[in-house]
Amino acid sequence: MALSKDIYKALEDVVGEENICDDPAIMPAYFSIEFAAVILPKDTAEVQAIIKLCNKYKLQFRPICTGWTGGFPKGIILLDLRRMNRIIEINEKNMYAVVEPYVISAQLQAELFKRGLNFCIKGAGTNCSALLRGHGHMDQTTSGDDRNHLAIEWVTPEGDIVRSGSLGSSDEWFCGDGPGPSIRSILTSAVPPGVTPGVFTKAAVKLYHWPGPAIFPIEGLSPRYTLKEIPANMMARYYSFPSVEKMWQAEIKLGEAEVCFELMGFNAAMVACNITTCNEEEEEVFAKLNSEVQGPGFFVIIGGNYPEDFEYKKRVLQQIVSEAGGKSLKSVEDPEIEGILLCQCTRISASIRETFRAGGAFNSIPIMGQRDLTIKWAIGAGKAKEPLIEKGLIVDDGGAFFGWGVEQGHLGKTEIFCKFDPLNAEAKAAVEGWQKEQSTRAFKERYFALTMGPQDEIGPALSNYHLWWSKITKALDPNGVSPEGGALV
Amino acid sequence: MALEDYQGDMEMCCRCSACKFIPMQKVKGLQYTNVCPSIAKYNYHAYSGGGRLNIAVAMLKDGFKYTDKLLDIVYNCQMCGACGVSCNYAMDMEVLEPISEFRMKCNEDGKTNPALDKVIAGLRKQGSMVPARGKRGDWAAGLNLKDATKEKVDVLYHVGCLTSYDRNMQKLAKATVKILQKAGVNFGIAGDAETCCGGRAYQMGYKEDFLNQAKKNMNMIKKAGVKTVVTSCADGYQAFKVLYDKYNLKGDLEVLHISEYIDKLIKDGKLKPRKKVAIPVTYHDPCRLGRLGEPWIHWEGKKVPGDRFVFDPPKEYRRGTKGVYEPPRDVLNSIPGIKLTEMTRIKEYSWCCGAGGGVNDSNPGFARWTARERIEEAVSTGAEAIVTACPWCEKNFTEAIKESGSSLKVYDIVEILEKAI
Repeated sequence: MALSKDIYKALEDVVGEENICDDPAIMPAYFSIEFAAVILPKDTAEVQAIIKLCNKYKLQFRPICTGWTGGFPKGIILLDLRRMNRIIEINEKNMYAVVEPYVISAQLQAELFKRGLNFCIKGAGTNCSALLRGHGHMDQTTSGDDRNHLAIEWVTPEGDIVRSGSLGSSDEWFCGDGPGPSIRSILTSAVPPGVTPGVFTKAAVKLYHWPGPAIFPIEGLSPRYTLKEIPANMMARYYSFPSVEKMWQAEIKLGEAEVCFELMGFNAAMVACNITTCNEEEEEVFAKLNSEVQGPGFFVIIGGNYPEDFEYKKRVLQQIVSEAGGKSLKSVEDPEIEGILLCQCTRISASIRETFRAGGAFNSIPIMGQRDLTIKWAIGAGKAKEPLIEKGLIVDDGGAFFGWGVEQGHLGKTEIFCKFDPLNAEAKAAVEGWQKEQSTRAFKERYFALTMGPQDEIGPALSNYHLWWSKITKALDPNGVSPEGGALV
Repeated sequence: MALEDYQGDMEMCCRCSACKFIPMQKVKGLQYTNVCPSIAKYNYHAYSGGGRLNIAVAMLKDGFKYTDKLLDIVYNCQMCGACGVSCNYAMDMEVLEPISEFRMKCNEDGKTNPALDKVIAGLRKQGSMVPARGKRGDWAAGLNLKDATKEKVDVLYHVGCLTSYDRNMQKLAKATVKILQKAGVNFGIAGDAETCCGGRAYQMGYKEDFLNQAKKNMNMIKKAGVKTVVTSCADGYQAFKVLYDKYNLKGDLEVLHISEYIDKLIKDGKLKPRKKVAIPVTYHDPCRLGRLGEPWIHWEGKKVPGDRFVFDPPKEYRRGTKGVYEPPRDVLNSIPGIKLTEMTRIKEYSWCCGAGGGVNDSNPGFARWTARERIEEAVSTGAEAIVTACPWCEKNFTEAIKESGSSLKVYDIVEILEKAI
């Protein structure tokens, strides 16, 4: 779907010759569909000008960051936000950072560590946009999802620039809800339906205290980076428990005690992914770890602010784990392994190992909600993976799921996925079938409702949110130029 | 292996963008995070390692539709392999190999770059990647060096095209000779019988020209009975050590880079840097001495059917782990007065100097842009000089410094050591 010369020229006048391309050669690099053009805006003004032209000429557009997900209708304009890569501000006093979409999490976190600060890096990995909302390994102390977005600069589907919260009234980024216009319900979720149309061009993200070093003392060469020493007042452990109930009991108590910097409900398979450098090694290590664990478990990082604080947190941790019958995994007590996990699970640098390395793809059911309930569902979803594992269609992870407490357990996240070879049609169909079955079961058995699921079924049970959302997007995007398409990680 | 043989690898790309950045654990801030010069300069995802794979696999499926833009993408890449290192931190898949095969496929289809064609025409005519003025061995006039093709030597010093012919670079050959003589090494050169290693032709996509050069060199070496070759050029090092081995031409020839060799001489007590060289320096890892200097791993196997991308027999990937990183650093640290400060992007995730892949010929502006990025990084360490171990790096840095007006000095490691002995 080629653009006319006039339209191409109009867009080119906005970004310059070098920053627009409609050559078919570049398209497959992004996705296996043809875009009308790929455009590289450099700032909000350019994004706004492009969107206004899209409205004028009724052209659909979608933005993209570093992203490995997203749905992209054929013939749309793709806004590759790569040139919007500035950290606008790190406000240590008020504990927020303002970033453009293509600042990756690793960059922002490295700058924050130097200042004794941290932020929520999403589980998708530190190679993804720092502006992305979602959940991650450090949710215990860095919260998650839209709770971390403060003021946002948003170019609407019609090309208006909206500045939410305090930014709308005082040019300050410290609050998403006021003084100024709070549009939190519109600037919303990272999963469809409900991915805000238009483009987020800047956002303030909430910052948190970081108890660790300014820079991890890494040694070695890729792919095996280790720590010269475990940083002072830090410790990483993996505990397995005799039952899910016992694990959950410990998770709740640890949240109440507020002693964990990180509590990540990894299963043994995910620990194996993190500490190994290739698929073959991963299979071996998983088998070993699987024989060491007594049941489900979680990974914990303790970060003390000073030696006494560290000792206190360790003691509380040990007592709670012991009361729940937890057992520390010896392999993780090895300082080399401990160091690898300590660094990777705070820098979130091994998400790709956890997901794509094995077969090249994974399909996931992630759910934010009441942990005890979602865990019960996840046990069933894990059992439903077993026949697929037996048939060799998905990677053997013992049918495990994972999850973690958010904000010291006030909220929770549970997730389960299947890793497979996307070129194997049988495997792909089986995984999609599993995903549909388990999502439907979650709704029918009243565990939770996945908003990604069949909306005509789920919507009526949830105040017809899908109809409301449809009306909102129609009002925001009267020309239908900003189609929905998934998270931009 | 042909491009088709890497289809499975290319299909493993999950478009995570790791190939654009240094390994995530090594990111120390907003600056110096990019690892791929091509995507850093041109921004479209197509210019990244992953983007290149996605394009290649699409073309394997849908046919090769060449456009000027496609060739711009293909040839604006230094083939430095940094994308592969960052990808292979997490993924088991080949990255640079299919990118290299894609370029060779373009070459086979006649879709070459005119500037590179000109260089290769020179190679075919004169056996050199740079214009040959005079004879190859002229630089050695009056030095009374042994002719390794006629006399028995322990070491053949392969000088390389740039160092042999470029008058500004001949100082490296002379410094190398001085060092080897000082250590009492029984070495020789091939003089006018030396010919290009072919490594840069390979990088440019001219596989047959590379193989011709490789065969010529190995014939000469076998005839002369040489057991050990020392190169002072990283491209030459990679050609002899890795690429000749890849094509089963190397045999049991021992190949050492001069930095490895002098490191050994120092550690064996045969060479003693005594004079103080009080310069704060930083060290630049040449791509083909570092990550791409990793030995070739011969492997043949088939994918195991099933859920994982694994092979029978298991495949060991070259992830940049076994490149030459410590010897040049050890040499520098052995020199009294030297203060070595590291840059952010080092060793396996070093930023390219810009001259690789023929980019210095096909797009000199991009080559110098890449070099300027490195110079800025070097200056940020407080160093007064950047030390490298490849004449191509030195030349490119020197040109970029001249253009930018920076006061940074550039040295090859042999030049610095020469000052100390």
